[in-house]
Amino acid sequence: MSAKQEDLGSSQPDMTSKTSASTLPPPEKPNAIQTRFKVVAAFWAVILFLGFPIWWKTTSIYRAELPIQEMLDWAGGKSCRPVFPLEIRIDTPSLPDVEAQQLLRLTQHTLDDLNEFSAHHLRLKLANEEAQQTAVRADTALTVRLQAQDDLPSLRSELHAETTMLDIFYSPSQIPPPSSSNSPLASFIAAELQRLFAEEKAIMAHILSSNAVGNSAPSSNSQAQQISPQLAESITKRLRRSMKYAETYHLAFSLFTPGSAPSSWDIESAVQEYISPVIQELSPISNFTVDTQVQLYASFSPTTPAPEFDETYGVWTLKEENLSAFINAAEWPLNPSIGSGPTINFILYVPAPSQSPLVVKESKATSWIIPQWGGVFILNPPLPTTEDSDKSNLLHLPRDALRAPFLTFSHQLLSLLGTPSTPSSLPFRLQTLIRIRAATLLLSASSTTGSLARLTESLPSIPIPATVASSVATTLSHLSFACENLRNGQFQAALASARVAETEAERSFFEKSMVGQMYFPDEHKVAVYLPLLGPIGVPLILGLLKEVKRVVAGWKARRQGSAS
Amino acid sequence: MIIFFIVALILAALSAGSAASNYHENLLLQPLPPSSLLASFNFKSNTTQTSFEQQHFRYFPRALGQILQHANTRELHLRFTTGRWDSESWGSRPWDGAKEGGTGVELWAWIEATDDETAFSKWITLTQSLSGLFCASLNFIDSTRTTRPVASFEPTGDHIASGNLHLLHGTLPGEVVCTENLTPFLKLLPCKGKAGVASLLDGHKLFDAAWQSMAIDVRPVCPSEGECLVQVDQTVDIVMDIERSKRPRGNPIPRPVPNDKLDCDTSKPYHARDTCYPLEKTAGKSWSISELFGRTISGSCPLADGQGETVCLRTSPLQEVRPSPDSVEASVSDQFTRCYTLPSSESFDLDVPEQVSAATDNDVPLEEPVLHAERTIVGHGQERGGMRIIFNNPSTEKTVDFIYFETLPWFLRPYIHTLQATITGRDGVRQQVPASEFIKETYYRPGIDRERGTQLELALSVPPASTVTLTYDFEKAILRYTEYPPDANRGFNVAPAVIKIAAAKPIYIRTTSLLLQLPTPDFSMPYNVIILTSTVIALAFGSIFNLLVRRFVTTEEAAALQAQTLKGRLGGKIVALRDRIRGKSAKVE
Repeated sequence: MSAKQEDLGSSQPDMTSKTSASTLPPPEKPNAIQTRFKVVAAFWAVILFLGFPIWWKTTSIYRAELPIQEMLDWAGGKSCRPVFPLEIRIDTPSLPDVEAQQLLRLTQHTLDDLNEFSAHHLRLKLANEEAQQTAVRADTALTVRLQAQDDLPSLRSELHAETTMLDIFYSPSQIPPPSSSNSPLASFIAAELQRLFAEEKAIMAHILSSNAVGNSAPSSNSQAQQISPQLAESITKRLRRSMKYAETYHLAFSLFTPGSAPSSWDIESAVQEYISPVIQELSPISNFTVDTQVQLYASFSPTTPAPEFDETYGVWTLKEENLSAFINAAEWPLNPSIGSGPTINFILYVPAPSQSPLVVKESKATSWIIPQWGGVFILNPPLPTTEDSDKSNLLHLPRDALRAPFLTFSHQLLSLLGTPSTPSSLPFRLQTLIRIRAATLLLSASSTTGSLARLTESLPSIPIPATVASSVATTLSHLSFACENLRNGQFQAALASARVAETEAERSFFEKSMVGQMYFPDEHKVAVYLPLLGPIGVPLILGLLKEVKRVVAGWKARRQGSAS
Repeated sequence: MIIFFIVALILAALSAGSAASNYHENLLLQPLPPSSLLASFNFKSNTTQTSFEQQHFRYFPRALGQILQHANTRELHLRFTTGRWDSESWGSRPWDGAKEGGTGVELWAWIEATDDETAFSKWITLTQSLSGLFCASLNFIDSTRTTRPVASFEPTGDHIASGNLHLLHGTLPGEVVCTENLTPFLKLLPCKGKAGVASLLDGHKLFDAAWQSMAIDVRPVCPSEGECLVQVDQTVDIVMDIERSKRPRGNPIPRPVPNDKLDCDTSKPYHARDTCYPLEKTAGKSWSISELFGRTISGSCPLADGQGETVCLRTSPLQEVRPSPDSVEASVSDQFTRCYTLPSSESFDLDVPEQVSAATDNDVPLEEPVLHAERTIVGHGQERGGMRIIFNNPSTEKTVDFIYFETLPWFLRPYIHTLQATITGRDGVRQQVPASEFIKETYYRPGIDRERGTQLELALSVPPASTVTLTYDFEKAILRYTEYPPDANRGFNVAPAVIKIAAAKPIYIRTTSLLLQLPTPDFSMPYNVIILTSTVIALAFGSIFNLLVRRFVTTEEAAALQAQTLKGRLGGKIVALRDRIRGKSAKVE
């Protein structure tokens, strides 16, 4: 049945083809051909000159122009080589001008000979030269005061603990004669200065060499070799545990105890006495807020190995490798403070009377630093020796008991902020900290800028809003300010500029609209475009091909015709 | 509830007496008919205003204190509630409803700010931070869920009169309150749920209850003399089903009572060995703290002061009670209440055996609620619906005046002109009356699509012994594709209404939350739309293009043309081949 129908159907074209073979249509009129050509051309014109630009315009993403090369130059250290010309004033109250000049020249010469790290060098100035200074005035890193003292057996130096002042005592006989080319006094001063700045130099060399920027300074390598491995290691360690620079730090002091006592402490006066002065000194670098809390019933996390009793010393001990698990992060309420800036936590832990005294097994220490997080102090208060066997902690921690922990905390705070450990003068160390911070900020802002440049280059589909471009411009201008300030020895100003550069660089890098880039997978695009472009595109393209073929055929025919 | 008033008085006296920071905790147990138990935990801690501002936290939780300071919040009320308070059988609400919220999460706060916009941005800061602190979706309280109630809430703290305080209120009726909200709640307590009455709080039992409400209130308190204090008041109220809670933890599946343990009514004529008419228990069931909560109170929290009434039991004076031997009973003037002081380190248990005497005269009288309220969505269809609110005044002589406050999501568009009222007396006669007869004042703030919800506050009064029903119609909006949640067919939560009954101390009632069904599309819609429109466009385009470009010839001419082309010739050959094969097979057939 079906075969029959098929037969009927299939026989028809055969028949028609036979019958119509003789009746070909008349050739098309040139008029009609031309109209068809115009129609196809008009459609394609609309597509190419209207459709395509609209599609391009609506689907392209805004990418602001960024100075990519300049940004990469900063990251590669080509735009700025940080230098640290430290100005040291020499106060010579008892010396005539000429002799002072001579001493200065000799000392400077000795210093230059000693120094192998060209980025960091000391420039001596006489105190009374002040008036001749130009408009650009460098910060004074240190004042050296020469004091004549009779019957002094040997040269002696003394660094003031409260100021940035170095006293050198000498006997008047040691003043170099105007003609001599070397003097024990000059070498002594030079050696003293070299010693004072040794750690700073090592840190600087480390910072610069660990960054891409340092590679361009050839002398840094030789400097790095000169540093003893122990010093280098301690510097690495200190830099690793110091907090990232921030404009505001929140200091949170917490009293934790596993039982119910002590439940109060003289915290106001302890903060007032031991922490506030340090914060005051640090205020040019960062702002600080302080908050405190008392947390009772703070038990160790169940996975932490319990303290063990050491019979030989009669103490409870924690193993050093378990200290990282000392903080029970799941249960102890140590949420970071609200507001911008990181929180530095200081924990005063009073162990339960049954586990007191508690110390670290290896070192018998009771305090340690948790890198980039804070510090811990275990306070083992004297237990009230009552006749009862039932021991209990004091209910209240008086100010005297808080002295040791809070001095430790202030020390921990300084090292968490990255302050060098030597020399003893705090203002001097803070001056150093300013220079270190300026350098690190400069380098980190530069590298962030470079990362942004590389990111925008490697991801062509992310949008770059105009705010990012303006942030980048601000970053670059402040980076060059900072670099300029460093060159002039104005470290405070350099730090301020570097701070702005760093914030702007971070802002542009973490721009929200850029991070959440529009992601359309290719399948998605096909699913959206194909249903429309397929049915429309096929007739259009076929029409175009036909026309092109016809035009080419016509052209060929004309050429053949002309050739023959 | 008199006892709550007494406790409040005692606490007020305590806080007035000692101006320094202190901490107080308290637990009240009260059996409720038919076989439930209300456990009401209250924790109060104070800190002085100066140490609060200097961020020296002792009893006051640091995390919460910093949030409040950062968001300029002067007074805060946060509620986590699940379940429904059955006022028909349990009577009036604990704390007069002042310490409970609507189902889900409810938050309202007084924020100090110069203008509305600053206040709102601070409010957003507050909700975001609290969201992190309490592991709740409070960050979803945006402008569409935020209202500024006019008459429904009043500050409970002592504020400086000139302060620019802004009240903001937000609800999340769909939030499921669970253990992850309890853990941060307990962390805020000075004793961390490890000592004192808080040691009873366990997520398994708490969220298994028939009704529970966790509340946090922070307010400034300025005693007449001395320094101002900041007080944080944490409350957990739960109603446990005694039978259900007594199930052992290892074997929680209820099983039929064995035959010989059934209490049967032997007076029934059909009573036999195999037939039983269960006897309704009139006497209170036996229970003890360790049975209900699965643990005992592990000593007192040493920080708590105001010794004397840490655990209170409110029951018939004839009821026999066996507390742990170490505890001390404190006398309270109220004849129904017995209070016990917790031992400092030993655990405390309270055993309440089954009451033998059936005399109910001495039972604690249940207080009749002042008003019953019920709110439902009526109507059918995807486009329109109606809201019906029923207020029932059980009193025979007193008229009840109250504020009715509701916030409606923007996709529910009420027609306030359809607001109608009917009144039903005790005789059951329904009467249609103009709504203005009950509504004394109206505050209405219409919603704006995707920006804010509708806010409706009505000052109503319901005459004695009557039921007033308010109804109005609403329209359901159609949402955009991306605005539907993943479980769109479940419906959308509508926040409970809040009723504030005017009294010396306002009484709050909340209705249950509602589920609103919205027209929900099929979510493959965008691709369907793309494909359909593309097909239509392609069809139209294709025919027009072909009309313009193609050459029109007769059928014969077309066939002739086709035969000339390579394709045509090939096609012809294939057809011929096929015909031959077909022809052969046809012959074989």
